[in-house]
Amino acid sequence: MPDLIDGSENVTVHGIFNWILLLAIFSIITAIGNYLGYKHPMTDSLVGMGILSLITLVGVWLERYLPFNVSSILYISIMGIILAFPGMPTSEFVLYYVSKVELLAIVTVFLAYVGIGMGKSWDEFKALGWRAIVITILVIAATYYGAAIVAHIVLVLTGVPAV
Amino acid sequence: MGFVTIPNKDDDGHIEHIYREKTDKRILKKNPWRDYRLHVTVFVLVIIAELIGTIEIPLSKDISITIMPLIYTIILGLAFYLAKPIKWIQRKQARIAEGAMMLFIGVLIAKLAVSSGQSISLIFDMGPALILQELGHLATILVLPIALLLGFKKEAIGMTNSIGREPNVAVVVDKFGFDSPESRGVFAIFIIGTVIGTIFISFLVTFSLSFLPLHPYAFAMASGVGSASMNAAAIGPTLAAFPGMETQIEAFAGFSNLLSFCVGIYIVIFVALPLTEKMYNWLEPKIGRDSIMPKKEDE
Repeated sequence: MPDLIDGSENVTVHGIFNWILLLAIFSIITAIGNYLGYKHPMTDSLVGMGILSLITLVGVWLERYLPFNVSSILYISIMGIILAFPGMPTSEFVLYYVSKVELLAIVTVFLAYVGIGMGKSWDEFKALGWRAIVITILVIAATYYGAAIVAHIVLVLTGVPAV
Repeated sequence: MGFVTIPNKDDDGHIEHIYREKTDKRILKKNPWRDYRLHVTVFVLVIIAELIGTIEIPLSKDISITIMPLIYTIILGLAFYLAKPIKWIQRKQARIAEGAMMLFIGVLIAKLAVSSGQSISLIFDMGPALILQELGHLATILVLPIALLLGFKKEAIGMTNSIGREPNVAVVVDKFGFDSPESRGVFAIFIIGTVIGTIFISFLVTFSLSFLPLHPYAFAMASGVGSASMNAAAIGPTLAAFPGMETQIEAFAGFSNLLSFCVGIYIVIFVALPLTEKMYNWLEPKIGRDSIMPKKEDE
């Protein structure tokens, strides 16, 4: 595993540059997919993706810059929630453009990278027997149904109408 | 069993940092944007997927199965990697794709967070359901007896304590050691989940939406299983099934995944894992089979 030997890097200008370019590539592909699949104008989606990319960039940068052992996912979530919070001066602008980017358009591009990336595990996957595959499928189903059923029961007990 | 290349062998308990280290190594060192073959391929896959669009297969009058573009891209992506004639997508591209994906999770999370912020009062109203459904993930332990009946031994503890994504792998390795049967179990779930999890959950959700009369919010919350790609794949069909509720569904799905990430890991450490071990100690003498695991092979 030669690529796993060295420790974590420090954030450099070079690194941030790489992040920005990757996010730009991702944004452009998503904006085009968003246009093809959902007919949202490309310029609006690009602004929307720009906002989301900026939040991501600040999030991953904060994770490495701040001394806390906290994941970027938390920073990104908090920033996203605050920027869109009703009454915030940013919320109207952010909501307008971000709502132009369909979640599914992002997911479609994201999962293309996931698909290619998971090919790497294919040989190891084949080495595992059918029993382990059965257990994995059951575990995923159990997690999903466990959460869904508990949520449903609590929602019904607290009287949330099923819209 | 040929285990395994999980990059957190010397992880010292900083669970969340697995994501960071993967991203850093792949992104900060190389110039991943320069691998145009990867990005052009993704671009072509996305165009193909969006042009095919959503396909609905009616099973009966009210029930239909929806297959969405996100399924095409993930399957085509894997197919491109595996197809021999396609020489420009190899292990190196897969590495870069994996590293890039760790960064792109951020965009996905940001989009969900914006929906959460927009619906923040609704989220507070649904607080009890959101928090309690995290305990629903404990249902994985119910699979333990089946694992024992199939002939797994201590591997079953690693396999059934949680959904077995990166943070869970780290917890199990941290507790039992890298070479333990428990860790081999969680690695197996991790690898299989990586390859089939996203596709499987998408179909699972599609079927469940047709057959289970649960609250739309319950489906949304359940999609936050603690894995960004599985979360994404689970939201797709849910959004399609409840048109007009996009913001609420995104808000609950995103917030629930965030909870899985922050709280879920502690539920695993303090509740799920001890409970799985108790179950194992109780059930193994009763229903345990002869171990089907081969003696440990070296890689």
